[in-house]
Amino acid sequence: MTLIWSALTIGAVYALVATGYNIVFTASGAFNFAHASLMMLGVFIAYWGLNVAKLPVIVVFLIAGGIVFIVGALEERVAIRPVRNPEALLVTTVGVATLIDGATQRIWGPSPLEVPFFGSNQVVTIFGGRVLPDELWILGFTIVVVGVLMLLSRRTMVGLAMLAIAENREAAQLRGINVRRIAWGAFAFSGLLAGLAGPIIGPQTFASATLASSIALYGFVALAIGGFGSLPGGLIGGFVVGLAQEYAARYWGSTYSDIAVFALLLIVLLLKPNGLFGRINERAV
Amino acid sequence: MFVNQIKRVPPIAVPIILAVIVVFLPQLGLSLPNQRQVLLIGFLTLLVSGLNLSLGYAGELALGQPAIYATGAYVAGYMGVHGETDIFLQILAAIGAALFVGLLTGIPGLRLGNWSLAMTSFFLVLLIPDIVQIFQNQTGGAIGLAGIMPPTAFGTQLTNYGYYLVCVLSVIVWLAFMRNLVTSRHGIALRVLRQSPVLASSLGISVFRTKVTAYALGAVPAGVAGALFANLDHYIAPTEFDFALAVTILAASILGGATSVYGAIIGAVIMQLGPLESTSFQNDALIFYGLLLIVGGVLLANGLTGIATNAWSRWVLKRGPVSRSVHISPDFQFPPMSGASLEVHSISKSFGGNKALRDVSMTAERGKVTALIGPNGSGKTTLLNMICGFYKTDAGSITIDGHQIDGRRPSEIARQGLARTFQMPMIPAGITVSDVVLSGRYTPERLSIGSAVLRLPKYWRVHRHDRERIDDILEIVGLTDLKDEEAVKLSLGTRRLLEIARALVSEPRVILLDESASGLDEDEVARLALLISRIRDAGGSVILVEHNFRLVLSLADTIHVLAQGEIIASGAPAEIEINPRVLKEYLGVKEKDIEEAAAIIEADTTGQQR
Repeated sequence: MTLIWSALTIGAVYALVATGYNIVFTASGAFNFAHASLMMLGVFIAYWGLNVAKLPVIVVFLIAGGIVFIVGALEERVAIRPVRNPEALLVTTVGVATLIDGATQRIWGPSPLEVPFFGSNQVVTIFGGRVLPDELWILGFTIVVVGVLMLLSRRTMVGLAMLAIAENREAAQLRGINVRRIAWGAFAFSGLLAGLAGPIIGPQTFASATLASSIALYGFVALAIGGFGSLPGGLIGGFVVGLAQEYAARYWGSTYSDIAVFALLLIVLLLKPNGLFGRINERAV
Repeated sequence: MFVNQIKRVPPIAVPIILAVIVVFLPQLGLSLPNQRQVLLIGFLTLLVSGLNLSLGYAGELALGQPAIYATGAYVAGYMGVHGETDIFLQILAAIGAALFVGLLTGIPGLRLGNWSLAMTSFFLVLLIPDIVQIFQNQTGGAIGLAGIMPPTAFGTQLTNYGYYLVCVLSVIVWLAFMRNLVTSRHGIALRVLRQSPVLASSLGISVFRTKVTAYALGAVPAGVAGALFANLDHYIAPTEFDFALAVTILAASILGGATSVYGAIIGAVIMQLGPLESTSFQNDALIFYGLLLIVGGVLLANGLTGIATNAWSRWVLKRGPVSRSVHISPDFQFPPMSGASLEVHSISKSFGGNKALRDVSMTAERGKVTALIGPNGSGKTTLLNMICGFYKTDAGSITIDGHQIDGRRPSEIARQGLARTFQMPMIPAGITVSDVVLSGRYTPERLSIGSAVLRLPKYWRVHRHDRERIDDILEIVGLTDLKDEEAVKLSLGTRRLLEIARALVSEPRVILLDESASGLDEDEVARLALLISRIRDAGGSVILVEHNFRLVLSLADTIHVLAQGEIIASGAPAEIEINPRVLKEYLGVKEKDIEEAAAIIEADTTGQQR
């Protein structure tokens, strides 16, 4: 059970990445490769706030959320909006990710830094498994975020507008939905979430310059398993990836954990390319 | 004038001269360190060129080039350590391994499109250290693989210059293959596919298979580069093949221009001599690449090559917007066509609770024009999409000369001889008029990628046929003068004619015209009517989906009227034009207007016969 708890914790981190992808994908149709880098930036800011500047926890949350919010908004303005050809988004979002990765390495160096947890470090036992409070925080934060977002997407005008845009961009525009502002908002909001996640996931992931590229991939696998655009799918996908990784590492050795996830990705893409919760759209001319 | 002399130089001369110079550089006294520099540029060129094939031509981002590079290097390195030192054998083995890895990631990665290939191939890069570790007895693990024996060719050990020559010639041969590929019809197919998968499949191009082929072929030069790289220092380490290399390759591709053959060299030269050279730069490399990718993605349409080509066509060739009109001579004949009959047997289709089609049957016979009319929302487009294979039927069947086509993929149906035009003409950007027509030649005469790349006799034979057919058809539709112009710049009417030319050049057994007359002026409609009647006279089967009631009445042999998902009337024009239900539902005509309408139509048809 201890293994399951840690698998679910690490899975929750991937689910957060998938959720970030989903928010932007639903609102603008773009796949934000840089979302994992935004989360990594949040972790580094948490490290700086808690360990270097020794600021109060709440202030660290505000700073991390605020800065990454701004970075997300900037990304949309600089690297998404001016791009005409959707294919070029593949290149510009990789560019943003590379830029953030390079900047964090420049500022904080290449070796992993420990991010202190703001709560207690007292191990608790739940369902016969030992679990740390910071792990529970990650799980709780992720589930709450996904749950609230699911409610918001069905119950609020902005959420419905996003669904409308995902369905048909032109039609949404004709109904008076400001497509550009919603896309901008989605990038900024996903940035805010990524920043707020920083101090929460940091104690588990460490502030490491290689964090972004690995969680970008695992988050994508979670997304592929759950289906593009599905919030609960991303959550479950994240858990599946976490479990596959932990079990492969436990029984076959740690060099096999990535290979197991890769095999999982190939199998899902071959057998169920739309994911578990994805919809099949018939094409029209 | 200097400019006029430049124009006369064939474009191929520049790369050939450059290639000869590079081959003889060591003879001209290039120092060993600088030769090494040239080779590294060459390897990077191969890596970038492979990416260009998938990103620039197939439109799929692949981040896994370093992994394929590593595969080639380790395969060659393993052979070298174990005494199999023949460099050509190593290259062949590396190509095989690269193709295998390419297909392994390409087939699942291309199922979902967009990002999934980037991610599955990027995942490979992340796996390199793990896989090297698992096979550490063969790969030397994290320490690296040492003791690779010097390369040989045909039993003798290669000299420094011999190795240099093998490397440089490999790059030259690959670029020649790549050039041959992208200038052949397969290159046109890739460009069509990239801009519109729907159009590509209507032309008989299998979207999935073509993308997988492009991506897997793009793995070949990376594998070759790996095999060559293993013999450079006789040592390889897993740290060489990392994410930074993936970004370097991507940046070089964007900088040089992804949709070009020689842009790879430009990108590789700049990356190798600039960023990769200076050690002080290492720390800021990622920041620089990041900025380069953002700026390049936003501003550069096709890298430095794109800028150069634009400048060339603007200032040297003096190309401007196209505004010539089109003329058709009325006395032309099509060669006999082998039309087929298309039969729709009581098909139904519903989307959720909405029944779009109910028990619809119709037949289009050879040598006849069959019209399908109906108000908007009556199910015409749905029916078309089902005939072309974009929708699946709920019930019923569709056949061409008795062969069932429903349930098949659009590209297979196109290969059965169904050609079509689109309501909004689908003309890919950046392609000349004659190349647009060439894209229609994909189905009637097959040409393998191998023949195209190696320019075998078969290629030249097919090429000659293609040219003849294209010239004939352009002559008939009156577009000969415009054949070297960029097709998207033409007016709507001309583009519609071009689409018909593209459909005709595929030697279709059934040709389907989707609202070809809409948006045309009266002259253009007359030309269209002439074309259609000549197709019929030549024995072709035409299905005409149309809103222009007068055109339909004057041209069609049989008319089917669709309303609310059902055929409400079928018959000859004379029966349809007086059918009260048609007049009420479709035209909204009141009784007293009917005679008037009939008079107009009569005047019209007699006018045309004169």
